[in-house]
Amino acid sequence: MGKKLIVEKGLFTERGDALLGRKCRGCNRILPPLTEMCCQCFSSDLEGIPLSKRGKLFSYTVVHVPVKNFQPPYAIGWIELPEGLVITSQIKGWEEKHLEIGMDMEFIVEKLWEENGEEIIGYKFQPV
Amino acid sequence: MRKVAVIGVGMTMFGKMPERSLVDLGTEAVRAALKDSGVSPKNIQVCYCANYAHIVWCLAQEIGSKVGITNIEMFNVENACAGGSTAFRGVWYAIATGMYDIGLALGVESMTTSSLAGRAITSETDLDGQLGLSMPARAALRMKRHMAKYGTKPEQFAQIAVKNHDHGSLNPYAQYKKKFTLEEVLNSRMIAEPLTLYQCCPNSDGAAAAILCAEDKVSQYTSKPVWIAASVLKSPGYLALQKDITLSNLTEQCIHEAYEQAGVGPEDLDFVELHDAFTNSELYLYEELGLCPVGEAGRLVDEGATALGGRIPVNPSGGLLAQGHPLSASGVRQICEIVWHLRDQAGARQVPGAKVALAHMEGGMVFGLGSAACSVHILKG
Repeated sequence: MGKKLIVEKGLFTERGDALLGRKCRGCNRILPPLTEMCCQCFSSDLEGIPLSKRGKLFSYTVVHVPVKNFQPPYAIGWIELPEGLVITSQIKGWEEKHLEIGMDMEFIVEKLWEENGEEIIGYKFQPV
Repeated sequence: MRKVAVIGVGMTMFGKMPERSLVDLGTEAVRAALKDSGVSPKNIQVCYCANYAHIVWCLAQEIGSKVGITNIEMFNVENACAGGSTAFRGVWYAIATGMYDIGLALGVESMTTSSLAGRAITSETDLDGQLGLSMPARAALRMKRHMAKYGTKPEQFAQIAVKNHDHGSLNPYAQYKKKFTLEEVLNSRMIAEPLTLYQCCPNSDGAAAAILCAEDKVSQYTSKPVWIAASVLKSPGYLALQKDITLSNLTEQCIHEAYEQAGVGPEDLDFVELHDAFTNSELYLYEELGLCPVGEAGRLVDEGATALGGRIPVNPSGGLLAQGHPLSASGVRQICEIVWHLRDQAGARQVPGAKVALAHMEGGMVFGLGSAACSVHILKG
């Protein structure tokens, strides 16, 4: 089956092994993936920087109603990265391991759903 | 800025009424407000009308034409759940600044005949939406944080739904007039742990209208004016600049500004109508309003402090949970509710001796901003 990234460009590093944050060349602020303008100084001179692959579980829930791309139940949460960013992520491994706010989580590249005969590749975080 | 009062209000029942059009709903609310105020349609000088879910043009003009309000300055506005409050503020502003003396604020929503019928409102195009972060999922994430930080229990969130449905059972305009036990709320369909179905506001249709008047004309119409002591409408700053994304700087700013404008603090409020789209929205707002210290909202629930009869009733109407939530109508509906209490006309759900009340609405979810519009009004009778 063909593969396609959930976001064509700029979500992951070139090697596809980490999330690509942005660093503002104007004020050095670290910004979330896909940011196009610095929210602090409004510069659009941003460089891509790989973000940490480890973070803390800021919050999570298990969802029991379907949305466009996912059948329930699925787990989704917020991951706090050491760079001071909070990232939305689906969570893998919630059925096997008891989730707790504050626990250590790690980034993985993962298929999210299938569409038009293609696998849509994104990311999840799972307990370390 | 001149003093402005609400001199008339009117609304439709809220509920699922797919057989009724936007114009039909809006017309009923406007007629009721005109009757309540004694104002002739000819005397309305400015009108703001809020709607979100339909692709419709010139709704204010069309509804106006059905009731004899024509050839005046009219605005059609949208601000998600804060649309009705936005319309109300617009009319307040037009009168307070001296441009007009009498105006009409209207909010109309027919969700069951819109493309949102039967669905939760979820952005499907931004990354959060694509990853499955729906509004109820986001609510659940905030609940879990509060539980982890302060020991708040699922039962305390659920009790808010019990309370609001108790209130709704006393409200002839409410979509839901049935009471629920705590077990029924907790055991209703699980949406996103621990948020259950009865802890989420429904899809609704309805309209609400308010007529506002400048200070020097008020006595021609009523001996019981309800004065607008504060009006705030604001958009948020960037989420990335916030210290904690589960809290809302926007909400706190708006509430603080409203208290300053009105010269009151939380201890001066007799009751509150707020945006309880989910039970956790209301729980967090207890702290954001300063009704209790941060972290102690669960205790406030346990004490029954925010139920009718308690020291600071919240959502005596039943709130969005039981009254229903036709998005653009809710902000004006809150004004109707507050006016009735301040005039001692709220019947079985009357907050006795009410003199000062606060109305809060917020809504819209924009990637990178969070909740995108917040509006707070304080009214004094």
